[in-house]
Amino acid sequence: MQISSQDADPKSLQSRYKMLYIAVGFFIFVIITRLWFLQIMHGNELRTFSEQNLLKEIRIPAPRGIIYDREGKILVENLTGFEATISPQYTEDLEATSKAVAKVLDMAWKKVVKKVKKSRRKDGPFRPVIIKDNLTRDEVFKLALLKLDHPGLDIKENILRTYPLGSNGAQFFGYVGEISKKQIPVYNEKFANQHVFKQGDIIGRSGLEETLDLHLRGHDGLSFVKVDAKGREAASESTKLLGPISRPQRAIPGANLTLTIDRDLQQAAYNAFQESEKTKTGALVMLKTNGEVLAWISTPSFDPNEFSRGISAKLWSTLVNDPDKPLRNKVLQDHNPPGSTFKPFVALAALQDGIITKDTLVNAPWRIKFGSRYYHDHTRSGQGQVRLREAIERSSNVFFYRQGIALGVDKMYNYISQLGIGEKTGIDLINEIPGLLPNSKWKKENIGEEWQPGENLTVAIGQSYVLTTPLQMAAAYAAIGTKGKLFKPFIVKSLKAPDGRIIKENKPKLVRDISDPKNEHHIEKRHFEAVKEGLWHVANGDRGTAKWWKIPGVEFAGKTGTAQVRGFSSDQIYDKCEERPREQRHHGWFIAYAPAENPEIAVAVLAEHACHGSTGGAPIARDAIWAYMEKYKPEMLKPHKWLKGPLQRMREAKEKDKDPKKLKKAQKKKKPLNQASNQISSPPPPPKPAPKPNTESGSSTETQNQDTTATQPAG
Amino acid sequence: MRVNERTFFKRVDLNFALVIAVLNFVGLVNLYSASSNDASGASMIFFKQIGWLTAGWFIYFVLTVIDYKVFTRIAWFLYGLNLAALAAVEFVGKTYYGAQRWLDLGFFRYQPSETMKLCLILILAKILSRKAYEGGMGFKDLVFPLIITGVPFLLTVKQPDLGTALLFVAIAGSMMLFVGVKRRIIVTAAIIGLITVPVAWQFGLKEYQKRRVRTFLTPGKDPRGAGYNSIQSKIAVGSGKVLGKGFRKGSQSQLEFLPERHTDFIFSVLSEEHGFLGSLTTVSLFAILFIKIIGIASQARERFGAIMTVGILAFIFWHMFVNVGMVIGILPIVGVPLPLLSYGGSILIATMVGLGLISAVSYRRYLF
Repeated sequence: MQISSQDADPKSLQSRYKMLYIAVGFFIFVIITRLWFLQIMHGNELRTFSEQNLLKEIRIPAPRGIIYDREGKILVENLTGFEATISPQYTEDLEATSKAVAKVLDMAWKKVVKKVKKSRRKDGPFRPVIIKDNLTRDEVFKLALLKLDHPGLDIKENILRTYPLGSNGAQFFGYVGEISKKQIPVYNEKFANQHVFKQGDIIGRSGLEETLDLHLRGHDGLSFVKVDAKGREAASESTKLLGPISRPQRAIPGANLTLTIDRDLQQAAYNAFQESEKTKTGALVMLKTNGEVLAWISTPSFDPNEFSRGISAKLWSTLVNDPDKPLRNKVLQDHNPPGSTFKPFVALAALQDGIITKDTLVNAPWRIKFGSRYYHDHTRSGQGQVRLREAIERSSNVFFYRQGIALGVDKMYNYISQLGIGEKTGIDLINEIPGLLPNSKWKKENIGEEWQPGENLTVAIGQSYVLTTPLQMAAAYAAIGTKGKLFKPFIVKSLKAPDGRIIKENKPKLVRDISDPKNEHHIEKRHFEAVKEGLWHVANGDRGTAKWWKIPGVEFAGKTGTAQVRGFSSDQIYDKCEERPREQRHHGWFIAYAPAENPEIAVAVLAEHACHGSTGGAPIARDAIWAYMEKYKPEMLKPHKWLKGPLQRMREAKEKDKDPKKLKKAQKKKKPLNQASNQISSPPPPPKPAPKPNTESGSSTETQNQDTTATQPAG
Repeated sequence: MRVNERTFFKRVDLNFALVIAVLNFVGLVNLYSASSNDASGASMIFFKQIGWLTAGWFIYFVLTVIDYKVFTRIAWFLYGLNLAALAAVEFVGKTYYGAQRWLDLGFFRYQPSETMKLCLILILAKILSRKAYEGGMGFKDLVFPLIITGVPFLLTVKQPDLGTALLFVAIAGSMMLFVGVKRRIIVTAAIIGLITVPVAWQFGLKEYQKRRVRTFLTPGKDPRGAGYNSIQSKIAVGSGKVLGKGFRKGSQSQLEFLPERHTDFIFSVLSEEHGFLGSLTTVSLFAILFIKIIGIASQARERFGAIMTVGILAFIFWHMFVNVGMVIGILPIVGVPLPLLSYGGSILIATMVGLGLISAVSYRRYLF
């Protein structure tokens, strides 16, 4: 047979079997000896353990990593507090215990019973139920006395995630909360090999707390204590029997996070929103021109501290149902038509394509006819013969209609997409949306229709399908200010392990140099200069749409815009925006960079339902820019008779708070003071009464692009 | 192949089958207790196990009557196929408890490292049976078997499943030692091992790496920390005392202090509920099984059958020793199931295939 020819004689192995018997016998003997040792010699001891004395595992929670601003000031930290808990497993008389506890904590005892019972049903008897957190010293003392008579009652130290800025910045910090029973298997599948989640774990649930959770959370420590059958700690003598594993393991704190945010500027920007009379809600983002985020506001907001303590269902539903969407990170999660803030992009395209030069005079009457329809300026008078500079300064619609006609949508797309419009910026925060920059191919694929020539006009003034996020706009304007350098925005500066090891460090990243001639759709530096001149005039020219907002000593440049919330029928077109119900009013945009000549920062403000960018957005952006200048370029600022910078006002407000005598006076004066400080030379003219109805105009919703503050007779 | 009924019962080792059946019975009774309190489908686990058992016994008898020598012909093919499956886990494997071990076949989660143990036994038995090594295997003789073992070892380490990988080494090592290795080589290997391991541990690894190695040994198997499980298991075993707490009365197991009590910690349920008598009986049953296996090996018709039988002995024996050792606290917690007692299709079928092959060796002992 073939096989047996390969096979040596099995008899040669006969001597080896004895060895097998010995080996097997030896190991079986070891097992039996050990079983004898555990079950016979230590059986009684371990039986007692299993029946009365339980080994309780006590978790030492690891503090989450601290979040610092760019200068090392604390943005998010941890505070220790005490909480009262009841373990259903150990309670003897729940009613009596609840009554005693409720008396000390000033609660209804039935509520306590209900809470414990509910948790026992849901999470089982082993899980301690938190009755109250943030105990006062007095309460801790009284409860400690009760502990003796009420098994199951316990006082525990807990670590509370604390956000000193309150609701400011809540959308990007995020919040934390306890992992739910359903989430545990989901998380353990998702983060297999990296971390094991268990009941009672605090996890980041939104914003940076969520995305960087694995780094921020650290590793909990463990210690074991012997407890009696009632859950009370018994004298802990570590038995040799149970081995050295019962030694406590120390908790390892999470990694510390440093952001590019500047806390002072963040607060100044937040105050600017709070103090604004016209703008109740909206978004602001301030970037350095290299992409570092300095301030990031989305209002209305919520207090993440509420989530740390365990948010009530009622508060949660209020937040979810609020029409102003406090949970939303509007800087990157909301997109709107950019309106007139889009015009500088169209100007760049038209210049580079050779349709106009910076000195070409264009006739910009109050309306033009294209196809069978009229397209209107936002004024009844029109702008006359204008060059690019005046067209941007006064935000002429007709000038840009003509550029739209000449360019066509696909050329506009080719140039403007260079500025990052219509795509995600790739910032290190979640939920970013790309916005939309249409071209004919997009329309065919997504709407199934051919591009209509008339749409070229509406795209050119930032309407039609165009949608942008405040973050994209800030990045694009920073690129205009730097004559073509588009940087990727980022908010995480570095992540450092507690031992000082750097886990992650972000450096500015150039997405593209738009002026680089190697680029197929590059835009030359001189064209950027021409557009920058126009943007300077918006804030500084005689007829600029944002000329009322100035910073003594520093010039900034920018552009106003209006995003319509919904279309209106023709009879409503010239309705006064302010008279509409709030939710139907337009959003105002203001996007700027400063200083105008060699910009260091760019700011985008979306003033929701503020009607106009000039009155709603510009003052907020001005304050944010001013705060930056106060902090980083104080030598450029000039003193002003009565105007004070936002940081100075913040400092003074703080000092007043400290001085009780002045406090009363300050409160009296507070309102007028703030009003004065919001304005420079002259207050903006109150928006004029509604212009006469435009009889010729058909139902053209596109003519909505108004920057009403510029509603002045044509020069 | 035609099987004559009379010769079948004359030839087949019914005592051997009886020992296995008794262990199966002990396993089922115990599994019933361990799973009955389980909210996630107690009876499901129990009946699934009965299904696997039925399939296992069918395979056992089919293998008994097949001429097992056909496996020498397809040993390479099986090994290669299994190696491919092991590599596939790397790319499309399912992650479970923090380690990629499974291939999802739809109806069944196939764990290639489990069948690899059997393929390794077959291929090594084939190689080692080619000649009688006078005075033991020399260095040159060892190179090839070591490569054969090393490849699946490294693939399994990568999953990461150091426990199973070390079992490969234990099985292969046992087989080679059985065949005989020159004393010089054994002494050298022992010295190198004794020096390298502590030195590497002490100086080669940083504290966080050591921690990683520790968790590597027990990849997230026990979310509350290995120490806790070990302690609870020891309490469970010890608290059984002489006679145990009684069927379904083990407080440690029924109150869910024990994790994975129907798979890896099945023996602590048995020890708690049936005491020293129960665990001694079970260990003795295993001892009888091992003695019977060695007996069959010594009567094997040819070298291949003998070495294969010893390999399967090593397979069952090391699983049993590592599992029980971990439960009674003399070995670290590694996710290794207890053959014939733990719940789980992969290990049960693999064990029954192995035992079926041994039965086949015994079936053919009269054919001299």
